Amino acid sequence: MKRLAKGAITLMTVGSLLVASACGANSSSNSTSGNNASNTAANNQAANQVELGKLDPANPTKVTFYSYSLAYPTMKAGMEQLIKEFNDTVGKEKGVIVEGVPDATFQQYKADISAGKEVDVVQHTFNLLDSSRLGLGFKAYEDVFPKAELDEHLKDISPNALELGKIDGKMYGLAFTFSTPIVFINGKLFEEAGLDPANPPKTWDDIKKASLQIKEKTGKDGFGLSPQNGWVTEGLILSNGGRVLSEDRKQAEFASKESVDAISMWKDLYMNGASAKGTDTEVSEQFMAGNLGMYVSSTSLYSGIKKASEAGGWKVYGGPLPQFGDKESIPVNSGSVLAVRPDSPEKNAAVWEFIKFVTGDRGYTIITSQIGYLPLRTKLADDPNGLKDFVDQNPLYRINLEQLSRIQPVAIWPGDSATEMVTAFTDAIVKSVSTDADVEQTLKQAQDQINSLMP
Amino acid sequence: MSQTFENSYAPPLKGSPAIARKRLNKAKLWRRIKPFVYLAPAIILLSVWMYKPLITTFYLAFHKWNMVPGTEKKFVGFENFDKLFHNPAFMDSIGNTVFYTVGLLPFSILIPLVLAVVTNNMNGKMKNFYRGIFFIPMILAPVSVSAIWRWLFHPSNGVVNHIMLKLNWIDQPIAFFSDANFAKWIILLITGWKMIGFSVIMFSAALTSISREYYEAAAIDGASSMRQFVNVTVPLMSPMIMFMLMMSILFSSQWTFAYIDILTTGGPYGTSTNIYYEMYRYAFSNLNAGFSSAAALVFFFLFGAIALLMNAASRKLSFYDN
Repeated sequence: MKRLAKGAITLMTVGSLLVASACGANSSSNSTSGNNASNTAANNQAANQVELGKLDPANPTKVTFYSYSLAYPTMKAGMEQLIKEFNDTVGKEKGVIVEGVPDATFQQYKADISAGKEVDVVQHTFNLLDSSRLGLGFKAYEDVFPKAELDEHLKDISPNALELGKIDGKMYGLAFTFSTPIVFINGKLFEEAGLDPANPPKTWDDIKKASLQIKEKTGKDGFGLSPQNGWVTEGLILSNGGRVLSEDRKQAEFASKESVDAISMWKDLYMNGASAKGTDTEVSEQFMAGNLGMYVSSTSLYSGIKKASEAGGWKVYGGPLPQFGDKESIPVNSGSVLAVRPDSPEKNAAVWEFIKFVTGDRGYTIITSQIGYLPLRTKLADDPNGLKDFVDQNPLYRINLEQLSRIQPVAIWPGDSATEMVTAFTDAIVKSVSTDADVEQTLKQAQDQINSLMP
Repeated sequence: MSQTFENSYAPPLKGSPAIARKRLNKAKLWRRIKPFVYLAPAIILLSVWMYKPLITTFYLAFHKWNMVPGTEKKFVGFENFDKLFHNPAFMDSIGNTVFYTVGLLPFSILIPLVLAVVTNNMNGKMKNFYRGIFFIPMILAPVSVSAIWRWLFHPSNGVVNHIMLKLNWIDQPIAFFSDANFAKWIILLITGWKMIGFSVIMFSAALTSISREYYEAAAIDGASSMRQFVNVTVPLMSPMIMFMLMMSILFSSQWTFAYIDILTTGGPYGTSTNIYYEMYRYAFSNLNAGFSSAAALVFFFLFGAIALLMNAASRKLSFYDN
């Protein structure tokens, strides 16, 4: 009898909890949809009359800047200098203080937004921009900054680069730290293998031959591109005539014959016994230790690689992203955009001052010379007061600047399931390249899974 | 010997004044309230930190919400559960969770039990020295431990690959953290290595409470060391063994979490992830609190059932030396 009573009480408790959660859902959704409606109206009004608030140097406005560059040893010093120079010059004069928050794994800004903290500017990756726009309250530049000032500031930035952060015609991110993939070459290992580092391999076939030759002559791995690299993969697919997403971004299309052929070539290269194994970090460490002939990555690693090569007594050379046969390679962009979510006219003004500085002439001079990313204001590369001397001393940047004419944007995965899509795509590539799994079947499965998540 | 009994209760007297009745009621009321006042701190803490999050998890499991303050929590019924059981990554993570749970048992029970017994028979200083050595990994921060193991197992610069290549055991270096055949084994090894110290200390504490007389009696009867271990030590330590078994089964997923996050982030292609790491990713990477809560709810019931079963088994199998 007692047991029966206990069972009945448990059932009633669970039942009432379920009912309570359902009722709660209705009441909560009603109240929040009300809030949303009023927010939308407020946003529309703001969009029609964008004006910046007044800044007060005596009472400075604080801006938080979440940056992954602040969390990486090769980029930290440059990014800190950028923030410090802003705070000491424009910030001090106008009344803005920027506080940098390191965010290595792109989790901190999400957690802090969820916790209700003020997250004003984020150094955001391209591929998840749509998801953040939909779910985390990031705003279009046109909606928070005055059009005239925006047009004036953006006029010297290459139009290709400005397109990268646009969704549905509005700019949700301004390209910031930005690069294309290049082949870093260890000059010493190349020479020991009887190869000329000043004449880098042009095609993937050349890369394969060179890597085997390096392995045979030096015993060191010849080539490194980690299957988990996250972005160069897309350049490979595009270079062979494939696509990652359809043009309207409504379907994943990376299981086409061209893509399968590109990934199969990579698999052959990875399995040939002369390729470095491991995560992207491990492969970059192997290259910096002087134990790898060629390594494909972004020039953002250049400052670290250069220091390591000087310490190790070898010289670093570079080459463009290799091509398939006689088809010109199509690099995609690495790096980040600046995504913003100011919440008052004063904050709009403060954030705008920071954006103008870091994406202005002085900002890109620091970014390129201290970190290694490309100057989006490309004229700086030929400006004697800008980066001309630096680029002349580091000719590797010319390769990167030349690749800008062929660049295509990295995929911005649509909807609020973007993170799941990126994981499914990367997992399929890793499985295809590093295991015996059938490439076509693995890519097809991932493509179907991603398409089932499309909004 | 005399005993006194305090009795605040007095039988009502005919025609007693109202004020006395009032005082009486107050005393009665206070006596009834008093236990709850003592319980209040515990009840408040449990309600705030345990029951409220639990009820919120129940609530969120039936909603879609990205955790951003002020955004809508959309009621979706059982959709989260439906998606969960059709999610291949979730099903893989269940397999890995079982792998880690079973794989940790030797590190939490067998090896520590042997080490505790062996060190128990040593003299004072040696005993403390060895127990200290076993316990050191337990007090090291997971981030430092991960950094050390990452360098040991590095594919090109790590000492493990270097030695294996020198001994001609392998032709090519192994990328332990990005090879599906090794990643979860390394996570298991590191977690197990950390676990041993904790279990050794627990078992050693239990060993000290066993009376030496049992061993002396067994020795007089001609029992060998092995026989004494099987017939005296193990039965008398059974409550602690059952406790550690339950701890190991219920917490193996939490103990592996840090190393998964730092060393493999669940990869390659989800082969080293476990259910707790997947829940974390659903909530804080994918910002899908409802999906994460649905997974948490499923495992709340599953682990709850395991805990009840283990309690029942403990009552049946444990032997107490009263």
